[in-house]
Amino acid sequence: MTVLYLVVPLALVIAAAAVVAFIWAVRSGQLDDVDTPARRILFDEPSRKSD
Amino acid sequence: MTVAVASAQVACAHCGLPVPTGRITAQRAFCCAGCEIVHDAIAEHGLERFYDLRNDDPPAPGPAHTTDHAYGELDDPALQRIHVTVTPDGLAHTSFYLEDLRCTACVWLVETAPRCLPGVSELRVDIGRSRADVIWNPASISLSAIARYLDRIGHVPHPYRGLDREMQRRKEDRALLVKIGVAGAALGNIMLLAVALYAGLFGGMSTGDTTLFRWMSMCVAVPGLGFAATPFFVTAIGALRARRLHLDLPLSIGILAGLGWGAANVVRGTGEVYFDSLAMLVFLLLVSRWFVLRHQRRASSAAELLLSLTPRRAHRVEGDALVDVAIEAIVPGVELRVLVGEVIPVDGVVVRGSSAIDAGLLTGESCPIEVRAGDTVHAGTVNVAAPLTVRATAVGETTRLGALVATIDSLSSRKSPIERLVDRLAGRFVAVITTTALVTFVAWSLLVSVSIGAEHAMALLVVTCPCALALATPLAVTVALGRAARQGVLVKGADALERLATPGTLFIDKTGTVTAGKLAVVSWFGDVDAAALAAAVEAGSDHPIARALKAYTSTSRTAHDVREELGRGIAGRVDGRIVAVGAPAWIHDASALARPFAPTVQQWISELALRGETPIVVAVDGVAVAVAGLSDPLREDARAAIDAITGLGWRVELLSGDDARVVRRIGLALGIAPERCNGNVTPEGKLAMVTAQRERGPVVMVGDGVNDAAAMAAATAGIAVSGAAEIAIEAADVYLRSPSITAIAETIKGARATVVTIKRNLRYSLVYNVVAGSLAVAGVIHPLIAAAVMPLSSLTVLASSVRSQAFRRSS
Repeated sequence: MTVLYLVVPLALVIAAAAVVAFIWAVRSGQLDDVDTPARRILFDEPSRKSD
Repeated sequence: MTVAVASAQVACAHCGLPVPTGRITAQRAFCCAGCEIVHDAIAEHGLERFYDLRNDDPPAPGPAHTTDHAYGELDDPALQRIHVTVTPDGLAHTSFYLEDLRCTACVWLVETAPRCLPGVSELRVDIGRSRADVIWNPASISLSAIARYLDRIGHVPHPYRGLDREMQRRKEDRALLVKIGVAGAALGNIMLLAVALYAGLFGGMSTGDTTLFRWMSMCVAVPGLGFAATPFFVTAIGALRARRLHLDLPLSIGILAGLGWGAANVVRGTGEVYFDSLAMLVFLLLVSRWFVLRHQRRASSAAELLLSLTPRRAHRVEGDALVDVAIEAIVPGVELRVLVGEVIPVDGVVVRGSSAIDAGLLTGESCPIEVRAGDTVHAGTVNVAAPLTVRATAVGETTRLGALVATIDSLSSRKSPIERLVDRLAGRFVAVITTTALVTFVAWSLLVSVSIGAEHAMALLVVTCPCALALATPLAVTVALGRAARQGVLVKGADALERLATPGTLFIDKTGTVTAGKLAVVSWFGDVDAAALAAAVEAGSDHPIARALKAYTSTSRTAHDVREELGRGIAGRVDGRIVAVGAPAWIHDASALARPFAPTVQQWISELALRGETPIVVAVDGVAVAVAGLSDPLREDARAAIDAITGLGWRVELLSGDDARVVRRIGLALGIAPERCNGNVTPEGKLAMVTAQRERGPVVMVGDGVNDAAAMAAATAGIAVSGAAEIAIEAADVYLRSPSITAIAETIKGARATVVTIKRNLRYSLVYNVVAGSLAVAGVIHPLIAAAVMPLSSLTVLASSVRSQAFRRSS
């Protein structure tokens, strides 16, 4: 089971990367409004010209 | 927008409300002109898909609101400097509050705007904050054109004023979200490692692997939870410095003991670790905090939307022309024109014109005050009779209103926090737990060994970490706030509900709360037909008395040679007869038309005066034929609402700036004893009465005006009713969106039910702590038991909160 000594720390590194990505998402304002996107997904046509 | 007698069959093509009989047409019928305009605008731009989208997720029906305002002031450079930012590529950006953003279809309708408005590159809606961000090219479209479009499709825009506050909140929200993310990631990974460790307990695991998993858990837990739990540590230290007890203190002790002792055990290579339970605890607590914050934000942005509804523009006199300017651009000395129905934006002196001023919001007086050239007028009062030209003497914060606002702001910020249930409990909790831990340590050290003593004492500190106790209040409050908001009761802070739960004295302002807030004809003596004549003479006038008489009867007759004497009366010729309507003294003396009053008329007048109603005499061809009694009528449901509040154990008192006789009469109609009806009370007097009463118990102030705001801020809790002045909304803890005061009793009941739920939650969590604590003292607690029981206790509390009766609709 020595592979654990490699895999477990590796898993934690990946988890840390996910946390960093999450922090970036929060800081860039993607989670400021959590109500409207849930509704916007119901529009079946582009409501804006650019994104 | 009042909906008159409606037939049950026809629904408005726009909003779905019943259509009044008079408006039913062969094709599409609308409940009001607003709905019709909005419907036409939607059709004109080919946006009928709006109605399909709305049918998928229908909001509560409400008539559409639209104005024909031109929004010229939005193009004023002075206003644009404050509200608009320009990006380097030449595009402009601003934010609006939009009214009536309620459903998915509304979001769609607003966000489709760029397709119909060339030059607008993006419109993004934030429905939770009722806000829209607009990016447009100033070279091809003006901001006022965008505003007019939004207005026409039923979402009246207002410049977004709380940007600084918003930035601050955004920072707080993001910081909390980052901590939730870190705690969540830590929880997930520690759980995986813990499952392996628990499996190893039963299946056998090599010492090397166990050590690896324990070290890995520690590497995640100590930095991850140490960072995520900082809000608790900060509050705990703050509370300690202020020598107060706070629930975050035992929480911090538990978290720190768990992390510290766990790390020590990992390094020693023996003993238990509790990282998984701790991670769960920190994560749950942070999530519950986020939910509470979200509900509070919603209530406060709804209140801020209302704040921005007050006019922020004024008409500046420039030669013969009037120019619309932003209020920020007004300096003392400038002459302004104030039209009928507008709020006077500055303190100033009347230069031209004479009119009546409704100072109700400022002083609480229900009758308009007459003003003429040379008189002083104050910001925040409403011009009700005729256009006035006013020279500004003070603007903004230097006005009387501004000074009052400053007092209220300082009162609100000094509002002493009430001793909250959980914090009181937290104090005893800390004492009991630390003593028990000490006793456990000493006893086990004497009986067995010091290391066993330390082990059991630490286990006690960790398993009794009051997670469910900390969740008990936020969960109950979140459920209550959410349900209350759906019923139109906006509660600003979590502790406002606790403040309202204990009965005490409830002071209620008269005007605009138990009464309708405007004059109406409440009694009529003499010739009934004279009412139509009076209405005909008053047809062209916009004085409050004229409006009351016009509302009393409608007439198709027209009057000629109408002559209005401001503050006295009005006379004219109807069907060849001379009709005069006015105050008894004017009809009697100043008019050559009148002969002395007949004894019956004299009797009517004195009876009305006795009742506290304003007598208005109608004279036809010089003979007084009828007397109307005018007053601010009671709301139909006021009596029932007051009875309901009294039934809940509160002592209700009337507190009004109006004449004492009028207040006593209203009190009589409401079943309030005369000694509890206080009239002629100044804003300062209200403040003093509330402060005095607070010595004796909880005080709630209900009101709508600037004159009530200071008292509201000083009371245990302030309740502002629908249509309240902006400062009153700001000072209040609870804002009722419905015009009826029935919601006050509902709010109190809801608050009481919330406190019942909180207490039940606290009992559940204490039971858990006693059980887990005794196991730890006995030395039989195991990390696996802790890991199972901790979430169980939190789930119990959650279930109990959802089951709460608070603000539950009986229907």
